[in-house]
Amino acid sequence: MIAAADPLWLSLEPDPVIEAYKKDVDRTLLRENLKLTADERVRKMIAALRLVEEIQRSREPR
Amino acid sequence: MTDFESLLRALVGAGVEFIVIGGMAATAHGSAHVTVDLDVVYRRTPDNIARFAAAMAPMQPYLRGAPPGLPFRFDADTIKRGLNFTLVTAAGDLDAMGEATGGGTYEMLWPRSEVRQIFGLPVRFVDLETLIYLKRAAGRPKDLERVAELEALHAERAKE
Repeated sequence: MIAAADPLWLSLEPDPVIEAYKKDVDRTLLRENLKLTADERVRKMIAALRLVEEIQRSREPR
Repeated sequence: MTDFESLLRALVGAGVEFIVIGGMAATAHGSAHVTVDLDVVYRRTPDNIARFAAAMAPMQPYLRGAPPGLPFRFDADTIKRGLNFTLVTAAGDLDAMGEATGGGTYEMLWPRSEVRQIFGLPVRFVDLETLIYLKRAAGRPKDLERVAELEALHAERAKE
C-alpha cells in the first residue's frame, strides 16, 4: 500500500474524465471478483477470453 | 489466444526476475476486463537479461507487427541494446519492458509489488495503487475506462 504522503499516491488526484467513467462501472462484477483468489480471477478471465474468441470465430465466413 | 500459463511458466521456471503489470495485473486484482497479452517489467541486470533471453528462445519471440524476415534475435545483446519490446511468441503476445511509462523500472516497482500464486506459480504483480498510477501515466485514451474501473475496485477493496 502506498503511504498517504507518497508522491505517487498524491498524484492520483480525482480526474473529472475518469470520475465520469466511474458511474458506468459495474461494481457487482468487481465485488464478485473480490471474493475469488488471484488464481481464480485469472482463470475466469481466460475462460471469458476463450468464449469471446469462439464467438468471433463463429462469425467468420465459412 | 495468448497462453498466459506457458509464458509465466517459462519465465518463472527460468528464474527470470519480472513484475506483471497491465491487464493481467488488473485481472489478478479483480478487474472484470479481459486482456489479450502479458505485460511485464523485467530486471535489467546482465544475469537476468541472459535468463530472460534463454527462457524466451524456445518460444521464438519476434517483433509484433514487423514484416517477416527481419534479422531479429531476442538474445541478451538485443535486450541490452533495447529497452521495451512488443513481442509475438509461440505462446502469444508479450510486452517486455525495461521501464514502464511513468518511471517504472523493476527496482522501482519491486517495493510496490506482491507475489500471488497463479497456475501454481509464484508470480509477482504490481500492486493496485501503482497499477492505477502507471495506467494514468500512460495517458492513453483507451485506458480511461480501465482506470475508472481500477479506482472503483480500489474503493471496493477499502470497504472490505
